[in-house]
Amino acid sequence: MKLPETSDTIVAQATPPGAGALAVIRLSGPQAFGAAASFLSPVPAEPVHRAARMLAVKDGARLVDRAVAVFYRGPASYTGQDTVEISCHGSPYIIRTIMNLALRAGARPAGPGEFTLRAFLNGKLDLVQAEAVGELIAAGSAEAHRAAITQVEGGVSERVRGIKTALVSLLAELEARLDDSYEEIPALKTRDFARRAAAARASTLELAKGFEAGRGIKEGLKVVITGAPNSGKSSLLNALLGYDRAMVSRQAGTTRDTLEAELELHGFTVIFTDTAGLNARAASRLEREGMSRAAKAIARADAVILVSDASIKETASDRRSEKEAARLPAGARLIRVLNKADLPLKRSRRGSLKISARTGAGLPALRTLLVAGQKKVFRDGAQAVVTSARHFAALSAAAGELGALRALLERKEPPAELAAERLRAALSELSSILGETTPEEVLADIFRHFCVGK
Amino acid sequence: MTPFNHPDQFDVTVIGGGHAGCEAALAAARLGVKTLLLTQDLDTIAAMSCNPSIGGVGKGQLVREIDALGGEMGKITDFSMLSCHMLNTSKGAAVRSPRAQCDKRMYQAAMKTALERQPNLRLVQDEAAAILTRAGRACGVATARGTRYASRTVVLTAGTFLRGLIHIGLDTFPGGRYNHPPSSLLSKSLTELGFKLGRLKTGTPMRLHARGIDFSKCDRQEPDAPPAPFSHFTAKITNPQLPCWITRTNAATAAAIRAGLHLSPLYSGKINSTGPRYCPSIEDKVVKFPHHGAHHLFLEPEGFGTEEYYVNGLSTSLPEGTQAEIVRSVPGLEKAEIMRAGYAIEYDFSDPSQLDYTLETRPLPGLFMAGQVNGTTGYEEAAGQGLVAGINAALSVLGREPLVLRRDEAYLGVMIDDLVSKGIDEPYRIFTSRAEYRLMLRTDNADLRLSGRGLELGLLDPALKKSFGAYQAAVADLLAGRKPKALPRGPWKAAKARATAAIEKTYALYIERNRKEAEKMKKFEHLRIPADFDYPAIKALPNEARHKLEKNKPLTLAQAGRIPGVTPADIQLLWVLLEKRRGGLK
Repeated sequence: MKLPETSDTIVAQATPPGAGALAVIRLSGPQAFGAAASFLSPVPAEPVHRAARMLAVKDGARLVDRAVAVFYRGPASYTGQDTVEISCHGSPYIIRTIMNLALRAGARPAGPGEFTLRAFLNGKLDLVQAEAVGELIAAGSAEAHRAAITQVEGGVSERVRGIKTALVSLLAELEARLDDSYEEIPALKTRDFARRAAAARASTLELAKGFEAGRGIKEGLKVVITGAPNSGKSSLLNALLGYDRAMVSRQAGTTRDTLEAELELHGFTVIFTDTAGLNARAASRLEREGMSRAAKAIARADAVILVSDASIKETASDRRSEKEAARLPAGARLIRVLNKADLPLKRSRRGSLKISARTGAGLPALRTLLVAGQKKVFRDGAQAVVTSARHFAALSAAAGELGALRALLERKEPPAELAAERLRAALSELSSILGETTPEEVLADIFRHFCVGK
Repeated sequence: MTPFNHPDQFDVTVIGGGHAGCEAALAAARLGVKTLLLTQDLDTIAAMSCNPSIGGVGKGQLVREIDALGGEMGKITDFSMLSCHMLNTSKGAAVRSPRAQCDKRMYQAAMKTALERQPNLRLVQDEAAAILTRAGRACGVATARGTRYASRTVVLTAGTFLRGLIHIGLDTFPGGRYNHPPSSLLSKSLTELGFKLGRLKTGTPMRLHARGIDFSKCDRQEPDAPPAPFSHFTAKITNPQLPCWITRTNAATAAAIRAGLHLSPLYSGKINSTGPRYCPSIEDKVVKFPHHGAHHLFLEPEGFGTEEYYVNGLSTSLPEGTQAEIVRSVPGLEKAEIMRAGYAIEYDFSDPSQLDYTLETRPLPGLFMAGQVNGTTGYEEAAGQGLVAGINAALSVLGREPLVLRRDEAYLGVMIDDLVSKGIDEPYRIFTSRAEYRLMLRTDNADLRLSGRGLELGLLDPALKKSFGAYQAAVADLLAGRKPKALPRGPWKAAKARATAAIEKTYALYIERNRKEAEKMKKFEHLRIPADFDYPAIKALPNEARHKLEKNKPLTLAQAGRIPGVTPADIQLLWVLLEKRRGGLK
């Protein structure tokens, strides 16, 4: 079970996200000085208590920013532990990089209200102030809850749940035999078991990779690009990104899946989703699948760019796209774009932005239009790093346990009770994403699959 | 009925003379308080109503723990054992457990003698009818004959007797065990006191006469030679050991069962209450696992001086005619004579989430509950709870600190925490898979984990202190790579120290991880949540967590953390509020 830990080193943005030109990142815990020293230079071996210093933030040899750092020696600090406060420039990119450097140095992303909790437990706050701690944790939980919901939609928790189901069923195989008082269950098929364990480990690693360096959670402004087949959606995406993210071909219906790409626009994170063309007559199963994914992406978009081909007359597919795009959620914006404006125009529509993905005409206007009035991305930037760093930590640790499990299974007589320990530990790591796996879940699996007991 | 106020004032009154009641009464009396045991029938003390078997994976660990604390079950098992097997010998030490068949009459007789010879303990044959209360506390027991016993605490171990109802086919009749009347008065008393009761079901197979069994058609299962004692204090098993026999069901058995299903109280909808998944009836096994052609059956002698055999694996509540056909279909049992029919029994249990860790009930202080009445199944589970309840009832009278075992200390702790934290929805049986610190909770180190407590409490003979202390030192020496000193005379031997040290070494890496985790948890185990904690007022808690906490009313912060759906962030919030409240009360 995961319970609050107060003796490790934590890191988080201390200033309210999106507050302005400067941000403060706080590190607290026994390793705070060491972690800060790993990316700030030059840090003296014994930093002076409460003295502010201008230091270079470095990612390896690369200079990230110049920041002011203050070192507080516990107990004379906000939390009562060794604490470093780094004031850096407020760009989401810089904040994210510094957070990642701290995480790489062994710090853990702080949970909501965790600094204040430590301050409280170390006697740094009085009872009245403690009220505020509760509120802080509650607000943070609501935020985390929102993030969790976003991930459910994003399919992350579905994939983690898949891994968990596989691990529970593997564990049940072992537990059923360990608890079999009548020694009735046939011996474990070790090779088959090892193969299933290896598959679970591979999915865990693959999923973990996606969260590395705080990039996994696609937090930010979600923009879906949609429109009739061959209207140039993928070309537009590539033009915006400046490189060939989507495969572009002149044959309609090339993009059968949804493609995602992330871009920093005017300091904001924007995540583009390029969808399959919405065909009036969906032919193959594959095409229908692609289109249903497009519909799902639209349902959770912050903005939808509806692309139509200005060089041809309106088609049935255009009308269908128009209908689909209208299903965007409340509060999201619909941006109509007439592409291929470099060719002779066959149609026009008021309020549409004329662009050419090929020549780049109209793209600066589109970029500005996309982030105009957006506060959301700023708010989410730091949260995304924290959440995804937690996921990365949990998934990597789970994969580590499954690696140890593999070594056990390679022994001549694999010790079942130790293999079970590794699986239990892996499940416990995943609990930070999905919640606890209770023994009852494992027992339920046992009784479903094995006829045990007298 | 002539009402009569018994002149004596008792400290602990135990209702029930089953496995829980016996341990409770012995423990209380051994702690020096004036104890009374009330039972409907003194001739059914420690009756083995189902299989006359003790131990099994997980259960064997419980018996060793009971024994290490100074309980009786292990010793009586050793005295009456007729066939013993060490289970899981091909697997690791953490899951190795003994299981023994006992002579069921010897077991009962020996336990009755132990009770009779116990100073401070009075035995009375009468049926408890009501729990007496004064000022919101239990203060005694009124019996069916109208006698009122004044008692500072009461331990209820009613087993399956509360409104017990027996089913054979579609016939039903009241009974707490076949041919023994149920207690219906107590159920009423508990309901009136505000207890939440529920209904559970369990069952037992038929018993056969040996002369009709063709053992040549069965596989012989040899007992272990030499048999290993359950108790730390038994030097050697002296009983002769008997074999058990294995046969199996077949397609004809399944056909007979299917033909009788319409007369099954389980499948006709007559019984709605839940039975233990681990002890399924044969009809359940055939219905739920139709592709299993055969199910193993174990033929186990019920005693030395009897021809009766227990058919382990044929638990059923089908009508007698179907039972006869089932038996006839099994190789070796074609001509077997059924002496007693199998049956199912439904009974009331008290929702265990109403208990505190001491097994004292929260609705009525002074009343403790243990055993099947708490929704568990099994003699070992019952005895373990009985021991803890008896100890804590006595300690509360003496004004001493209660005995609360943590999940990393004992299966007893795992079981009680599970019951108290989560309640139950089927009869609760211990499994090693329930123990997150499984590698630490072994049969070989039950003494190292608990005998210190047994000595401190005064349940173990103080004369054992020297032998135990030297043993502890020897294991520590071996683990540190030092040469251990020679052990003095006593139950603890050098060979055992070497075996345990070797096991600890193989598991060292894992045990270290477990220890760290347990250490972290300890802090939260000690953070009690006051009973009047106002969850609905904590608006900051997410709805799901608030409802679950309100429903479960966890006793400690650690327990709150074990409730599914409660997140670490919720725990953090509770922690702050608890600290705040503690500070505010200063």
